[in-house]
Amino acid sequence: MEQLMIELNPQTTQPVVQVKNLAKAYGSNVVLRDVSLSVAEGSVTAMIGPSGAGKSTVLRCMNLLEQPDSGEIVIDGHCINAGKKTSPKSLAALRRSAGMVFQHFNLFPHMTVLRNVSLPQERVLGCSREQANEKSMELLKRMGLADKADQYPSRCSGGQQQRIAIARALALGPRVMLFDEPTSALDPEVGVEVLEVMKELASTGMTMVVVTHEMAFAENVADELVVMADGGIIEKGHPGQILKDPQHERTRRFLRAVLER
Amino acid sequence: MNNLVDVAIEYGPTLLGGLKVSLTLTILSLALGLPIGLLFSFGVTAKNKAFRYISVFFVEVGRGAPALVLLQLMYYGLPNANITLSSMASACLALTWTTAAYSAELIRGGMQSVPSGEIEGSHALGMSYRDCLRFVVIPQGLRIALPSLMGFAVLLFQATSLAYSVAVPELMSQAYSIGSSTFQYLPVFIVAGLLYAAISIPATWLSVGAERLLSRHL
Amino acid sequence: MEMLKAIAIGLPLTVLVTILALMIGTVVALPIVAGLRSRNRLIWLMSRGLVDLLRGIPPVVWLFILYYGISIGAVRLSALQAGVLGLGVVAAAYLAEIFRGAISAVPKGQWEASSALGFHRATVWTRIVGPQTARAAIPAYTTFAIGLLKDSSIASTIGVSEIVFMSSQYARQSGSGILVFFVAAGIYILLSVPLGLLSRHLDIKMRKAVAR
Ligand SMILES: Nc1ncnc2c1ncn2[C@@H]1O[C@H](COP(=O)(O)OP(=O)(O)OP(=O)(O)O)[C@@H](O)[C@H]1O
Ligand SMILES: [Mg+2]
Repeated sequence: MEQLMIELNPQTTQPVVQVKNLAKAYGSNVVLRDVSLSVAEGSVTAMIGPSGAGKSTVLRCMNLLEQPDSGEIVIDGHCINAGKKTSPKSLAALRRSAGMVFQHFNLFPHMTVLRNVSLPQERVLGCSREQANEKSMELLKRMGLADKADQYPSRCSGGQQQRIAIARALALGPRVMLFDEPTSALDPEVGVEVLEVMKELASTGMTMVVVTHEMAFAENVADELVVMADGGIIEKGHPGQILKDPQHERTRRFLRAVLER
Repeated sequence: MNNLVDVAIEYGPTLLGGLKVSLTLTILSLALGLPIGLLFSFGVTAKNKAFRYISVFFVEVGRGAPALVLLQLMYYGLPNANITLSSMASACLALTWTTAAYSAELIRGGMQSVPSGEIEGSHALGMSYRDCLRFVVIPQGLRIALPSLMGFAVLLFQATSLAYSVAVPELMSQAYSIGSSTFQYLPVFIVAGLLYAAISIPATWLSVGAERLLSRHL
Repeated sequence: MEMLKAIAIGLPLTVLVTILALMIGTVVALPIVAGLRSRNRLIWLMSRGLVDLLRGIPPVVWLFILYYGISIGAVRLSALQAGVLGLGVVAAAYLAEIFRGAISAVPKGQWEASSALGFHRATVWTRIVGPQTARAAIPAYTTFAIGLLKDSSIASTIGVSEIVFMSSQYARQSGSGILVFFVAAGIYILLSVPLGLLSRHLDIKMRKAVAR
């Protein structure tokens, strides 16, 4: 019921993520210029664009893995201003509200799957080991990985590792999940497992921002499509609309290249 | 050849006694030097200037100077500063210095080869800097460094043979005194050498095995 | 100043012992590497055993064996000969391992491509595998050379009057041990700086030559 309302009326809900006038340069290389974005509660935003457009950088700025030069980021009410110094406390709060999934999983290879998912709960949320393990097992079951709990990540396939990484991020109860090309390092066949999990996650009302090259996912699952090129957002709107009738020449060129493969 | 066996039987106990001293010296130097090495591994890149300069001094001199110089410095040099140590204590101090200096570099190298993605992962999960060090960087860094630390331990064990020059009654010095009183230099040194090899060679295999074992989850 | 002079008298012998031992080590290492790569089990086993034995016994023991233990007829090796020879053969074992590692670091595809192109074995070694091996071995080789520079001090134990020998002597005479040994340490550190720089220079040059 709640979901239905969100879908019908995305405008009325308060955005979970707001990015205002984000800019970032590496030395003289301007990577982001004036990027603004807002993500409604329960919505899925897909971000596409050519390599080097700055998609990863936007995502990494959102939880301050990368320090933006200017702009403002608000996630779930925690506000971070690039101009001001961030206190460790507000940084921790911001990172707790945003879960991140990387292209290369970044699991901890020296810990079992279960420890990978439990340790952050213990250290960041202060859960007891029992509480954490219980939650982890629940999530691993949901990911279809209950039997892998005592294995080491290297013993798991790429698709499994990525689902473990998703479980690890979800275990901290984030308000928004950020995905940076979660399937790019995977065989197409294995990528499907991960996409299924993400689809299920979207259907439970999780707010998601997904950088992806999976056009089918962008079209069928996303509520909002953002097209980036040369450090800026050149187009955003309803995915079906944009894919059918792109307004910008750069978008058209990109879509042609992607779809003709 | 007969000579060798005779010497081994006659002087075996004395030489084994010396070997025990060599091993004790090795273990003491490792036990003291490794924790200091871990400390220095952070020190050489620390923001605190005093900490950094002290670490860099001890690491660079400890690695740059021959062990023999450090040994003599501690035994013949320190008395000038009115610090007189027993030969065992000064040898231990010198080899601890060597251990700390080398292990600092080996541990630092290990920690640097922890993939940055994993460190990023822990930041993205909101783990604190200290937790990231404690649960991700240090355990993996040590594990990556372990085989080379074990290799270093073998070299350290061999370096204890230089402690004979500061009158520590270890294997080499026992062999030398037997040799100079009996003039059976060759067989005595060969037996001593074989005793060193009997420890060093298996220990080297162990470090190679450790390398294989530890790269299992990577 | 007087102290520095007294210590520096040992400098030429330190350098000489290091260079000679490195040369002996490099040359002797080559047949050992061949043995370590041999398909003949016996040859392999003997080379392996030799390397393990040479590395398993501390250099000072080798030096003592050569200096006090060996006499050919009535002739004994001089301290310098024993020092250079002892350090040289131990170096050969370590260098053989370094070279072996560097050779096996050359990707298998390089051998396959060379065979596919019909190169002679000699051509493969001189033009394809050799340069890539040299490139891969340089960092470890220079690190070893710096280690050998310090290990040359072990020759002082059999009376080669190099830096450490001169330092101990001066320390005993003058009774200012602490400073003497710090100066000696400083000389070794200074000597290893140019070697480190040379290594970096060669590394960069080779990187350009064997661009990967
Ligand atoms: N750490 C860095 N230092 C310097 N330049 C960087 C760094 N990280 C990214 N860049 C540059 O920033 C630009 C944008 O990079 P970004 O990774 O955000 O692109 P992207 O849209 O995610 O591309 P891709 O699809 O290849 O992942 C690129 O030109 C890249 O070279
Ligand atoms: Mg990217």
